[in-house]
Formats: sequence, C-alpha cells, structure tokens
Amino acid sequence: MIGRIRSQAVDTSKFVTDWMEHRTGIVTMMEHFLYEPVPKRGAWLYTLGSATLFTIVLQFLTGILLLFYYVPTTDHAWDSINYIMTEAYFGQMIRGIHYWSANFLLVVIGLHMAQVFFSGGYKAPRELNWVVGVVLLLLVIVLAFTGYLLRWDQDGFWASVVGMKIGSYSPFVGGPTIHFLLGGDVIGPATLSRFFAIHVWLLPAVLAPFIGIHLYLLRRHGVFGNEFEYSDRLAKLHERQRLESYERYEENDGQPYMGRRDRADRNGDEDEE
Amino acid sequence: MYAPATGKGKSGQEEIITEENVFERPDETIAFFPKQVLYDLFISTLILIACVVLSYVAPAPLTEPADPATVTYVPRPEWFFFFYEQMLMFFPGYALIGFGAVVVPTIFVMLLFALPWLDRSPHYSPLKRPFATVIGLLVVVTVVLNMLLAVSRIINFPGGE
Amino acid sequence: MAELQKDPITRKDFLSFGILGTITGAILTIPPAAFILGPVIKTDVLGQTDVPSGPDDWHEVGSITEVPVEEPKVFVVDFPVNQIYGDRKIQEESGLSTEEFVVESAIWLSWQHEILEGGEYGQSYRPAFLDDYDGGTLTQAQIEEIQGNLKVLSSSCAHLGCPVRWIVKEGAGEFLCPCHGGIYNINGQYVGGPPPRGMYEYTYEVREDGRIYVRHEFDIEEGLDVQKPYVI
Repeated sequence: MIGRIRSQAVDTSKFVTDWMEHRTGIVTMMEHFLYEPVPKRGAWLYTLGSATLFTIVLQFLTGILLLFYYVPTTDHAWDSINYIMTEAYFGQMIRGIHYWSANFLLVVIGLHMAQVFFSGGYKAPRELNWVVGVVLLLLVIVLAFTGYLLRWDQDGFWASVVGMKIGSYSPFVGGPTIHFLLGGDVIGPATLSRFFAIHVWLLPAVLAPFIGIHLYLLRRHGVFGNEFEYSDRLAKLHERQRLESYERYEENDGQPYMGRRDRADRNGDEDEE
Repeated sequence: MYAPATGKGKSGQEEIITEENVFERPDETIAFFPKQVLYDLFISTLILIACVVLSYVAPAPLTEPADPATVTYVPRPEWFFFFYEQMLMFFPGYALIGFGAVVVPTIFVMLLFALPWLDRSPHYSPLKRPFATVIGLLVVVTVVLNMLLAVSRIINFPGGE
Repeated sequence: MAELQKDPITRKDFLSFGILGTITGAILTIPPAAFILGPVIKTDVLGQTDVPSGPDDWHEVGSITEVPVEEPKVFVVDFPVNQIYGDRKIQEESGLSTEEFVVESAIWLSWQHEILEGGEYGQSYRPAFLDDYDGGTLTQAQIEEIQGNLKVLSSSCAHLGCPVRWIVKEGAGEFLCPCHGGIYNINGQYVGGPPPRGMYEYTYEVREDGRIYVRHEFDIEEGLDVQKPYVI
C-alpha cells in the first residue's frame, strides 16, 4: 500500500518536473547551478561572498517592510520610526535586522574584498568582476550614508550635514554637489525627500543589476582561491608539455622546441616541485 | 550561457589539461550543492540570529529628533566612516580640505578600480607578489589606525557630556 | 538554440536607428536630468535661495540688553524655508497645509573683544552707555557704535557645519567645534584646527528700540564656493 503511494508520488513528481523542464528548462538550469564543482579547499572562506549577498537580501526585505510604516517627511519621519520601534509588531526586530545587517554587510564586504585581494582573485580573466565589485562597494557606502538621514534624529541629521559639507569641498563641482543633495541651499523637506528617493529607489535599482552581473561573471569564471589549489593540474599540464616538447625535440632532429612552454610558466609556479 | 565548458562532467575518462582549461576547476572539488550551500546557509543563519539577538540586546538607535539649533550635540559619524572622518583632521584650510576629503578618496577609488591592471604579476599567492601584499596590508593598517585614533579622540573630547 | 541570423543593415535602417534613438534618448534623459537637477539650476545658475533674504526679510533675534558683557550667548531664530510644501504660495492655493517650514538656526551673539598677543582677551568693546540703558530710544550714533562692536555669528562651523559651542577653560573662553576641534575666539575669528576661515557672520541691524534683527545672509567673499555655510 505504502509502496504504491510512494511509486505514485514518484511518478507524479517526475511528470511535474518533466513538464516544467520541457516548457522552461528549469531543471537543467538548476542542475547547472547546483552541481557546479567548486574548490574544496577554502570552502569556508567562500562563504564571505554569499554572506554579503545574504545581508543585502536582508536589507531589501526589511527595507520593503519598513516602508509600510515609514513617512518620509521632516515632521513625521522620526515619529513613524518611533512607532515602528515601540508599537508595530516585531517592529524593533525588523528595524533591528535592517540596522544590524547593514553593519554586518559592511564588515563582510571588507572581509570579502580582502580575501579576493590577497588571493589574487582579481587577475585575468576576472578583472571586470573586481570592477563590478568596487561599484557595488561604492553603492553600498552611499546607501549607508543616505539611509542615516532618513531617521531625522540628531545622529543622522548631523552626520548628513557633515557629509554634505564634505561634498561641498569637491573641486569645481562643490556647490552643485551639495545643492543637488540638499534640494536647495538649506537642509529642509526637499533634502529628506531626495535622500529617501536615492536610498529607497535609485540605489537599490542600480544595485540589483550589478549584483546580477557580479554573480553571472562569478559563475562564468568560477570562484578562485589560491594558486596552490591548481598545483596538481598545473603539474600535470607541465608534465604533458615537457613530454610533448621532448617528442618534438626528437622529431625535429635535436632542434629545441620553444613554444607554449613559456606561457604556461607565467600562469603558474613550479617552485614547489 | 549554460553550455557545459569543455573538460567538465566527463567522469571516467582522463581529462586532457591544456593551458585553456588548467584553471577551470581546482584540484579538489566539491559540488556546490549540498556542501557549499550548507556552509553558506550556516553562516547566513548565524548572521540572521546575531541580527535578531542584537536588535533586542542593542536596539537600533533612534536619538532625539533632529534639532538644527542645538549647540550641545556632538555629531559622530557611523563607525565605518571613522577612519575617513579622522583623515579630515589632517587636512586644514581651504586648499587641503577639498584635497583630503574629496581628491584623495577619489584617487584611492580610481586605484581600486585599476587594481587588476596595476598588479600585473602572474602570481596569485600573496607571498609571491610582495609589493601588492604590502600595499594591501598598509591600507588595512592605515584604516584600522585611523579608526582607533578617531575612537580615542571621541572618548577624550572635552565637552562630550 | 537556433542558428544566428545576421541580416545586413541598410542605410535606411541606420538612419531610422539614429532618429528613433535620438528622440527616445532625448526624452528620457534631458527632462529627467533637469527635473532632479532643479535645485542646482535654481541656486547655482539663477541664484535663487530657499530662505528669503531680501531687504524686507529681517528676523528678530533679541534685545541688545540680553547680550552678556564677557561671554557670548546663543539665540535661536526661525528662518522660513520655501522648499516643496514649505512654499507659502502653494499652501495658500491648496488650502490644505498651514504649517510653515522653518530652519531653526542657533546664533551666537557676543561683544567684540580686544585680542592681546598670545590670544588673551583684552577689554570688551561693549559700548559704555549700555550699562544704564533701560530700553529707550537709541540715537543714530549709539546704533552705529553698537553695530561696530556686536558680533552675530552662525553656530555652523566653517569647516564641516557642526554646531560650535562656547567653552570656558582657565579664564578665557573659546568657540570649539565638537567634530574636528576647530577653535575660534570670542570675535569668531579663526584660532586653530582645520576650519578654513572664521565663523560665518550674519547680516544684522540694530533698531531704535534696541532690538537686533538678522537676515539669512553671510559675510562671504565672492567667488569662493567653499565659504558658504550651505546647510543652515
């Protein structure tokens, strides 16, 4: 009896997956995503990248939730956040996650960058992924800066005043920069509206596609650790090339073959051997 | 986009390693699913739990409503801007403020963008490209030192009630 | 996946791409850019300001008798701001909002002091007749004497806009910025730290009844953008 139900269930699920695969190709796609071989060594180090992604997802999620109560006007912004913190169910937690995961995000981004830097992960052909990563870093920093004013409390207000004044010292474009941020020439309702628009719509809308590019390039080239993770394969390559060149040496009546060997040396190191 | 790369997935038969595919997969691999996903999930859960606990232990701050007319409030940046704020101390006067606050960080970001083309060393290991490693460590040390300076300055501020 | 098919691009196609692209591109970039850069155009190109500071926009600070002899005192003045819903005209048209948005500004008032060598304060230049002034009508000469020696200073630090405070340590006091330690003396002149100049001074006038009025206007040298207080 149970066996029959089980086999029926198997049949049904196979029917559903086949149906979906035929129409969307989603099974192949998922298999491609899930069964990609990744380096065994350093698997824990590579969780830094996914932790960054996770904290950003938390930002999006809790940010959307906070918008259900937040009012972006100078006379009610503080009140609405106070309401979230004291009245709304789990408001303290939702805002707490938004706040704390933003802090973790900056820590994790720093560690992620350091890891990529010290393992040389930005080298060819992964240069553009590094560039996209720097863009993401800048976007996150500006997001952190703009989010601070939205509270309209003393901390956020004065930190933003200082930040905007710093912008006014930009060579040549100082005035326009700060007038753009202020929405005028004094801090006021327009300033809050602008920071709100930038923090909630503009930057997330830019951030999301860049995350997509970052992940696409990552899957295209694979994660990269240290060079010694490839030492077996490099050794095999060099051994094969050595044999080949030796064969050619014999074929060519003693003429040395100086071909691709040099390039291979540049790619990896044989010092350990 | 999803076409399998050459040399992959041909279990059983010996893969021929060429210069093109030598870096394609590391020596020892695991499948992304389930082990790597599990590791990622472990860290993510840890972060989420930390966020939830912290949001009750140390609730997200909300200080007094903004008061542009205060003369007693001491503005402080977020901790991740500490090192930058401390740097501003070292650039007094018209010409230098703009230089220190905007030009230097812009140059730094430009260098950050250009890093893959600046470090042309064929080596990957940090020990085999000492120049890049030393620069990287110097940046880290500078940031941390500046952060500590800012913290000590904030603690020692005379009027800070 | 199907084979790729690459048809030739004719001259007509090319021109069409150009025309359609220009129209769409222009509509989607120029108006949005002007839209979000509006404040920049208004302030930097047209020279408008959000805080009315014309000849009629005086705001009362306080009485001349309230300024202490030996140290500065802070006053708070509300300057109305025309930003978005703060605009009085818009409010009157809609009839919905009656709240006027103001930017509260802290203003330090102090009597100018003689600065001795070494930065110590000498005598105060506070006019002597104020000792027994009881709020009566001031003569033109008396007003001029006051206006020559009264300092009306913005609390916004000339460095990065933090609120400066008055701190007394061992006799002589000083204005101290809590952010990066900029120091000014009682006259608002630069003494030390990173600020590029002294404190911003408001345009003010003293009227016959002994009351002080300010305009939202500062002592700014023409052509130096970094000299503006900007934020408040």
